[in-house]
Amino acid sequence: MANILIRYGFLALLVALVVFFSVATSGFASPQAAVFIFQSVAITGILALGVTATLVVGGFDLSIGSVATSAMMAAAYAMIVLQQNAFVAVIFCLAIGALVGLVNGLIIVYMRVPDLLATLGMMFLLLGLQRIPTEGRSIAAGMTMPDGSTAQGTFSPAFMAIGRHRFDFFLPDLVPVSVVVLLILAVLIWFFLEYTRFGRMMYAVGSNPRAAELAGAPVKAYKIWAYIISGVFASIGGILLAARLGRGDIASGNNLLLDAVAAALIGYAVLGASKPNAFGTAIGALFVGVLLQGLTMMNVPYYTQDFVKGAVLVIALIFTFSLSGRTAR
Amino acid sequence: MITRRTLGKFGLALAAGTVLFAGPALAQDKPAPFDKPGDVKIALVRYLSTGDFFQAYLAGVEAQAKALGVQLQVFDSRQDAALQADMVDQAIALGVKGIIIQHGLTESMKEAAQRAVDAGIKVVAFDVNVENDKIPQVEQSDRDLARLALEQAIKDNGESWKAGYVYVAGIAPLDRRDETWREFKKKYPGIDEVAMFGTLDNPIANSVANQARSVVSAHPDIQVMFAPYDEFAKGVKIAVDEAGLSSSIKIYSADISTADIAAMREPGSAWAATAATNPAVVGQVSVRALAQLLAGEDPGHNVIVPPTLITQKDLNDNDIKNMEELSAKMPQFAHADVAMPAWMPNPNK
Repeated sequence: MANILIRYGFLALLVALVVFFSVATSGFASPQAAVFIFQSVAITGILALGVTATLVVGGFDLSIGSVATSAMMAAAYAMIVLQQNAFVAVIFCLAIGALVGLVNGLIIVYMRVPDLLATLGMMFLLLGLQRIPTEGRSIAAGMTMPDGSTAQGTFSPAFMAIGRHRFDFFLPDLVPVSVVVLLILAVLIWFFLEYTRFGRMMYAVGSNPRAAELAGAPVKAYKIWAYIISGVFASIGGILLAARLGRGDIASGNNLLLDAVAAALIGYAVLGASKPNAFGTAIGALFVGVLLQGLTMMNVPYYTQDFVKGAVLVIALIFTFSLSGRTAR
Repeated sequence: MITRRTLGKFGLALAAGTVLFAGPALAQDKPAPFDKPGDVKIALVRYLSTGDFFQAYLAGVEAQAKALGVQLQVFDSRQDAALQADMVDQAIALGVKGIIIQHGLTESMKEAAQRAVDAGIKVVAFDVNVENDKIPQVEQSDRDLARLALEQAIKDNGESWKAGYVYVAGIAPLDRRDETWREFKKKYPGIDEVAMFGTLDNPIANSVANQARSVVSAHPDIQVMFAPYDEFAKGVKIAVDEAGLSSSIKIYSADISTADIAAMREPGSAWAATAATNPAVVGQVSVRALAQLLAGEDPGHNVIVPPTLITQKDLNDNDIKNMEELSAKMPQFAHADVAMPAWMPNPNK
């Protein structure tokens, strides 16, 4: 009984919530609303999948929020100030994400700086760095540059389509690009972590780095790759953010970080995994999305929503560390 | 009276009131200490500095200081209340003649401001109440901002509509805007507030978009969204666009930026109007009020910078693409006749 509760408790709770909101509010139970829930968690979900990779190798990445906002600024800067096309802007962002991940990994692995501290430092560094090119201004088409001239570029239509285009899926114009990206990345990282040798080795590195090293695994390389994955995923989140907002916004991304970490941690409890896993992370993100969408439709103010989010996280962690720990022993 | 150069440079017809001031200003000498402005040092002590509003405010302060010819020293405490109080003492030690306190907390700044006054320094405060009779308070009128936007909403939509309202309690300017909203609801019982939401999770526009999306699916009959802060309005606009309701919902907001102008001017945009005070003008007025004090004049205890209503139509008719063009083509936005004695140089010329 306890086993069943631990394995399926969270999924059951998710289903119960969906049923509750469908009854309690009008408009919750519709394909559009369902798609929208995915859309509202797409960006944090992608960040959460990235941070899951670092959790798997026993690390942590605090810089994902600021990587995402830096990528957003970089995309806007590339198009509006440098007048590049969408393709260049996307590549530019991905390169920044990969580079930041690589630097994080190198600092953590070779300089032996603890992961929390290294990525915290990186977070501050990026917060400042993203503001330097425009002297603290947000980037929008027609903006005035620090030297007084007007920026000539615009967000290219192809790039805006990332934020606005919708694919037909049974209904016309139903599924936005961000949701498709989320689903693809979720399946990719899930398959990668669970079914490839590389992914299984990452779990081995996370659970016992010394044993993995003695077994001949290049532990350092696996760790660095985990941070690169995390950085790239965060920059993809930033690209989607830029495409949705249509400008480069000065923002710390701290809320993105916190929501993403919450989703990944809730994921520990899904199916009684008690470890970071991509499927759980996706469910965790979805769970938060369902809650927030439902509560907003019921006119619940934002601070109550933060409270509920926190409560869910605490309960999920209790599930993970207390209940499942006992049965395992 | 206006030189051709001025016209060429700005390409705007100046308001009649400004013309009246422009004449004598050229002739009249400035009072002491501005007869030797190079010796006058003033300080700007800031609490908030990141973001477009604060950048523009600083630009306004710098422009007016330059027009007067005084030296300006900028202290930036980056939201550190204790440091901001220390910086006032630092400014006193530097021997400045005047200090502008920009934002901050009443608790931490009240005594620091008093110390400056005791040291014989003239002080003005912007958007922070330092509870001191000797210190003029520069304010943008949040109540007027909300009133202008709501009057336009009544004008466009009649006196009875279903409304969604974006609000986060506990933020002083939003609370003041909220007072006006409550008054309007009392005055026009036909306004039916079916949903209230809001968050300051950043990026704010993205978080509000997620909320607004839920709200419009729960209440697709909403006609007016009152979002009295431009980040809120931007989020609501994204949600309304995504839900395909741009033609049935109108958004009214407060504040403006270059990005907002682009969003308002998109074809079929739901964002109908915004009321805004030009932060650069607020910066200019802050310096002018301080200069009046230094010259021994009284700018009054409450120096209020009036807002301007900017509609989608205004922007389209004048083909305005950014803040500079807005200032150039809507002169009431570029300059406020506040704290403007005859001798005061106008930085917009």
